[in-house]
Amino acid sequence: MSYFRITLMRSGIGLPKRTQGVLKALGLRQIMKTVFYPVTPEVAGQIMKVKELVAVQEVDRALTKEELKAERRPDPGFYLESAVPR
Amino acid sequence: MSTVTMLSRTLRRTAVDTRIPSSALPPTFLLPSRARYFNSTTQHVESPPEDLSSSVPTPPAANAQLSKHTQSKLSKIPSPPPPPSKPLALSDSIKELLPLLAVQPSHYISAHIHGKPYLVTVGDIVRLPFHMPGVVPGDILRLNRASAIGSRDYTLKGSPYVDERIFECRARVMGTEAEPMRIKEKTKRRNRKVKTVRSKHKYTILRVSELNVKALEELEG
Repeated sequence: MSYFRITLMRSGIGLPKRTQGVLKALGLRQIMKTVFYPVTPEVAGQIMKVKELVAVQEVDRALTKEELKAERRPDPGFYLESAVPR
Repeated sequence: MSTVTMLSRTLRRTAVDTRIPSSALPPTFLLPSRARYFNSTTQHVESPPEDLSSSVPTPPAANAQLSKHTQSKLSKIPSPPPPPSKPLALSDSIKELLPLLAVQPSHYISAHIHGKPYLVTVGDIVRLPFHMPGVVPGDILRLNRASAIGSRDYTLKGSPYVDERIFECRARVMGTEAEPMRIKEKTKRRNRKVKTVRSKHKYTILRVSELNVKALEELEG
């Protein structure tokens, strides 16, 4: 089962209430918020309504909140090679 | 009587002579005790925390508890990455120019620690803008993310990072430095109470001890 990965790239401020309502229904409350929905005609229609504001990707699996956070976190860039006795 | 005074005078003179002549000393404002007042930031190099340093002579029961504590601290340090599965693929231009970069005398590296770049060379002391948990002075860290390595004439840029097998960069943990205590007064309107908030952050000091660009034979062999 594949999913839409929808990220809000632009805010819905200043748009018709109906468009803002679609964003709210998708759970997109602020810029860069990412949500996952299964690929269905209903969701596709909602995306079409706000297509100017969102970035959409089709993925195999919905990521959890923790996985999304880990995706954003940069690599530490170091590791402990030799530790002094402690 | 006069001999006694004479003797005491000579004694005093010898005592004066044995002291360092005052002209040899630097002026008082350059003495270490005085020079400290000039520095805006207090240098505070910390020895390893007591619970860690005292873990050697403690009885085994306490030691087990401490080691657990130490382990929880150590678990915050990133572990070595798994060996990369893909063999190193070098483009022709890298194959051609990497030896030229490697033979140049001194290199710099733009190493990324937690996503922030630090442009350093060997011997540089870096005050990280955070306190690295779990490390103690003397630990050697291997820096394995670099966006650029270069010398006077050549630069190897990564996209976004240079392959970590191409170079070796190590940094030694020197200690911890503390900033001067900051005091901020917090007030609310229409209220005379003033709350003072104190903060004194610690920062980890690293010293870049080693930076090598590997030769082509090492990479392919």
